[in-house]
Amino acid sequence: MKPRSAELSLLILAGIIALAAFALVSFAREAAVPPGIAAHAALFAAGIAVVHVAVRRFAPRADPLLLPIAMLLAAFGYVMIRRLDPALGGPQLAWIGTGIAAFTATLALVRDHRSLERFRYSLMLLGIALLLLPLAPSIGRSVGGARLWVRVGTLNFQPAELAKVILATFLAGYLAQKREVMTIASMRIGPLELPAPRHFGPLILAWGLSLALIVWERDLGSSVLFFALFVVTLYVATARASYAGTGLALFAGGVWFTYHAFGHVQTRIAAWLDPWSRIEGAGFQIGQSVWALATGGISGTGLGRGHPGLIQPGRGATIPTDFIFSAIGEELGLLGTTAIALLFGLLVARGLRIALRSRDAFGTLLATGLTTIVGIQALLIMAGVSRLVPLTGITLPFVAYGGSSLLTNFVLVGLLIRMSDAEAVD
Amino acid sequence: MPPVVLTSLKWLFLALLYLFIARAVRVIHLDLVGTRAPRPAAGSGKRRHRGTPRTILVREPDQPAKPFPLRAEVVIGREDSCQVVLQDTYCSQMHARLFAREGAWFVEDLGSTNGTYLNRMKVTGPSPIADGDEVRVGKTLIEVRR
Repeated sequence: MKPRSAELSLLILAGIIALAAFALVSFAREAAVPPGIAAHAALFAAGIAVVHVAVRRFAPRADPLLLPIAMLLAAFGYVMIRRLDPALGGPQLAWIGTGIAAFTATLALVRDHRSLERFRYSLMLLGIALLLLPLAPSIGRSVGGARLWVRVGTLNFQPAELAKVILATFLAGYLAQKREVMTIASMRIGPLELPAPRHFGPLILAWGLSLALIVWERDLGSSVLFFALFVVTLYVATARASYAGTGLALFAGGVWFTYHAFGHVQTRIAAWLDPWSRIEGAGFQIGQSVWALATGGISGTGLGRGHPGLIQPGRGATIPTDFIFSAIGEELGLLGTTAIALLFGLLVARGLRIALRSRDAFGTLLATGLTTIVGIQALLIMAGVSRLVPLTGITLPFVAYGGSSLLTNFVLVGLLIRMSDAEAVD
Repeated sequence: MPPVVLTSLKWLFLALLYLFIARAVRVIHLDLVGTRAPRPAAGSGKRRHRGTPRTILVREPDQPAKPFPLRAEVVIGREDSCQVVLQDTYCSQMHARLFAREGAWFVEDLGSTNGTYLNRMKVTGPSPIADGDEVRVGKTLIEVRR
């Protein structure tokens, strides 16, 4: 089968699944098909048509799986968000539209991913500026204890989301240049052969930046994500286990330091280890999240028939942003959450395949970095709400409510699709 | 709507979700095994002449077969420095090596990502090749000829 026809048939199947979810929610909650269904069918069809034409026009030989998976996650996420809080449905739909536009623009503007390599230092400055933007006095805003937001006029934006893709591009460009000198061992500490100390500079810088995020913006999730991104890309670039080892040691040190220095980190860890004795306080959300998953069982209560609203009656965080995975678990059970995890697994597998097949070092590192961003985020939040790791305020890519994150992830998929098109030979 | 109908619809919906995953996996599967190598013509495959190979015939997917003489050592891969340069993206930069020792030819994998196969068996160390053998690297088939 030709890649574009395979992609189109998967996109149509994704559209049918999203429409089915929409219908099931209204069967369960209003016992009738609402008039919105025809409009939604038209909207989904329009979205599919736009992305399909965009890929056919700008990247005809691209990977056929990335886009359908991203669109399925986004459309299904939208239906869940609308079911959880009808007021958020409209904005999310608008953001998906913006995301599709950004995806098309990425394909149209970036005709060759190697052209991005030249801008690496400008991208680094831009990335760091975006990360620090919420600290600016007049436009920065705090939501739920974390200072992550920038408000311009009526538009709220989380610049750290966009900074993820920008810093991944910088890292790929930087390491594609420096990897050879960074691979040479020139220092010996006991049994360890290490590259010269100055080459650890970027690693230390990344560590400092991650710590700064925790200290000033209280953003645990992004901090872990950025650090993982740096360590993974560094390891793939140099194939030296000493960087990965040093990275893990720095991570352990950072965890120890932040745990002892900051109350909000201690609260998170305590709520993770034992939510039940703190069920009226810090353990409330995570406890409810676990209850939601338990209520779902194997196949769930059915869409629209659970009570995921119980996770958060008026406690700051919202379900559509932080706990959408638990809501899916309550209504579609283990089978539903496994399907979501499998979709992310497929997305990551395709991303790493693009990295492996790339003909240039920059492409390999960029695809690895972008894939790491999606994979680590999905892993952190899925493991967070199911109490495998402490909960961090990371969004489930494509699915959770949030414009900045959706926009960024669509740009990210656009870049991966651009690279996969360049690699295709037959 | 009665609960039993809603429950059946729930299972139907889960089935749809997994149908999507199954079809995605099928695309990957077709990607990996899609282009089957053309079988040698009837008769020629039956009797194997264990003769010393002198040429190889490189069959890349969607490209005409290219003969290549076997005189000195041959490295096969995507890198420009290889003697046989392939476009095949399932092939590693330096994928496999054909070399002669005491008059006999051998194939050896050079630590490739996807492995080298001799007559559909994975090559783990230097393996002798003879006229009529088939070596596969990535999606490319290499016929060993007299």
